[in-house]
Amino acid sequence: MAEQEQRIGVYICWCGSNIAKMVDVEGVSEQIGKLPNVVIAKNYKYMCSDPGQDLVVKDIKEHNLNRVVVAACSPRMHEMTFRKALQNAGLNPYLFEMANIREQVSWVHEDKDFATKKAKSLIAAAVRRVSFHEELDKRTVHIDPAVLVMGGGISGISAALEIADAGKQVYLVERSNRLGGRVADLDVTFPYGHSARQLLEPMIKRVEQHPQITVFTECKVEEVFGYLGNFECKVIGKDGKETGIKFGNIVVATGLKNFDPSGMDNYGYGKLPDVVTSVEFEKMLRQGKIETKEGKIPQNVALIHCVGSRNKDIHEYCSRTCCMTALKYANQVTAALPETNVYDCYVDMRAFGKGCEELYANTSRKNVMFLMFDKEDLPVIKKTAAGDTCNMVVEMNEVLSGEAIEVPADMVVLMVGAEAHEDAKEVAHAVGVSMCGNDFFIEKHPKLDPVATTTDGVYIVGSCQGPKDIPDSIAQAGAAASRILATIAQVEVEVEVTTAVVNEDLCCGCQTCIKVCPYSAVTYDEEKKVSTVNEVLCKGCGTCGSTCPTGAIRSRHFTDQQIMSQIEGLMAMEMEVA
Amino acid sequence: MSFEPKIVAFLCNWCSYTGADLAGTSRMKYAHNIRIIRVMCSGRVDPTFVLKALREGADGVLICGCHPGDCHYHEGNYRCLRRYHLMQKYIQQMGIESDRLRLEWVSASEGKQFAELVDEMTEQVRKLGPSEIKPVMEKLAV
Repeated sequence: MAEQEQRIGVYICWCGSNIAKMVDVEGVSEQIGKLPNVVIAKNYKYMCSDPGQDLVVKDIKEHNLNRVVVAACSPRMHEMTFRKALQNAGLNPYLFEMANIREQVSWVHEDKDFATKKAKSLIAAAVRRVSFHEELDKRTVHIDPAVLVMGGGISGISAALEIADAGKQVYLVERSNRLGGRVADLDVTFPYGHSARQLLEPMIKRVEQHPQITVFTECKVEEVFGYLGNFECKVIGKDGKETGIKFGNIVVATGLKNFDPSGMDNYGYGKLPDVVTSVEFEKMLRQGKIETKEGKIPQNVALIHCVGSRNKDIHEYCSRTCCMTALKYANQVTAALPETNVYDCYVDMRAFGKGCEELYANTSRKNVMFLMFDKEDLPVIKKTAAGDTCNMVVEMNEVLSGEAIEVPADMVVLMVGAEAHEDAKEVAHAVGVSMCGNDFFIEKHPKLDPVATTTDGVYIVGSCQGPKDIPDSIAQAGAAASRILATIAQVEVEVEVTTAVVNEDLCCGCQTCIKVCPYSAVTYDEEKKVSTVNEVLCKGCGTCGSTCPTGAIRSRHFTDQQIMSQIEGLMAMEMEVA
Repeated sequence: MSFEPKIVAFLCNWCSYTGADLAGTSRMKYAHNIRIIRVMCSGRVDPTFVLKALREGADGVLICGCHPGDCHYHEGNYRCLRRYHLMQKYIQQMGIESDRLRLEWVSASEGKQFAELVDEMTEQVRKLGPSEIKPVMEKLAV
């Protein structure tokens, strides 16, 4: 390609007045038109508009252009638009370069002379760079339609059913000996009091009987190898039995773990027999028996919120479900034991879900006393003297009354928060997802892409991404399932073309590139004694290219030559203008 | 004409280049002296790019990447950081002022920080005066 005559077309966009009012577009196109190899340099009102793109397409054909530069907005905005225009004109889309003269010139500078000079430099650099661009071809790989779902809680089950119902094979791997996750521990759900068992059992039955779902219980997933469309791993059973599976996409639904309050001295958990966690209390409710350790009906039940949550020394985040679970308990206790007083000790009542504020309002009308404390000034539970009317008192500074009070209690329920699963690190490593500071998994974009991850083909759903209630978990599972089904429907997937490539003649076999590659995309060919890049694994970051001591690695579309020429172009124009 | 520093900047596509774009979409104003080259990752910034920019007449070179822990490619910014320290050592041995080369972390949401950084570095380089590298190299060239 290098020997071919360079015929470059340069197009300078006015962007209405956005660029034109700060950059002398006429003057720039005139001067750029004089650069070597530039066949035409034009300026136009809106290059991204249909007539703007048509202008490029027409010129490519008429003037036999083989390189195009558009100076306009950020390439993050319209690089794809113009690459498509090149393609429409029969030119390889990578024979294109964009100069950012809006976001990085006209919108940020106030002196028209300097702005014009800077625009010229950037365009001259793009012209120089585009001369060294090469044709790159789209590459596609076939997508294996099978899906791995890690975690058999309500999120994993929902995703598995959605995918399997669409006729795709699902491998559902669960570490414990049963499906259902945390929901299986629940008695009823908030805010409407549906029985958790009635929600869950038909789903589990359907999973177990589904011809497209293979369930592995008491199993774990060993490191996953591969890339979107072509993953593989071993599933290891408790007995050491290994099963190799292949799949094209992954749903991570490994859930959460409940906070253990043993370390919090003020609540006396583990020392005072009738201080129980919400998990233990839930079990009592499932068994239909609300009793103290001595087998007595409690006359006073205190519920304490935010145990382990919203605490700067433990977890700063809100665990989202505990407030409503506490209200659920208040209702269950008052219904089962009408003579019993319920004290709900809270920090802020967070009732944001559908039907939740109504649950709060209804609960306030019952025999429940709401007492507020400051999250920096936690209540202290103390045992009372023998012969007292209650077993314990909860000492707290009640915020709304401003008084230090003692709440009588025969049973205290600690509303324990959620934290990342103890296996989170292992899972993150196995599938290649990142964790935030709290060990929950990080989504690709917190607003716009909440179920995908930065590893293509790996989705996170449910509480492994952050504490969640049942409807949110199921919504995420559905979102991930539909994303995966859409990917599978494409049959093939495009992979990155701007990958690294090794020139075997120059490679000295030092393997430094292998050490710096974050995707294990570079391997060592023992026979040839050189490094080779797996182009499907390579994401094109270029770190290997800049680490290679012999210059044997080329980062396609960001080659040394392309960047060096860009620097030359920038500075040549600077010197000339100065 | 007063001295206007020429600064070449290498910005990673995912955080810093996006942060620079944000400064634009937010219409923040900053010094015109910077010329940005986009790379996919700060890990792509080869030390020879820095030397090339200085050789071609840049008075300063700025490298920006994602904050530690936020790299789109997991750890490219750490590679860049290691090379940066070596580059600093190298340019100082060559008699080039260390202030002519900077590495800063700029996230996609830090448009304001980017604008302030450009202003600050422009003044820093302005104080140093024009770089002598290009004229000296030309004199030395046989």
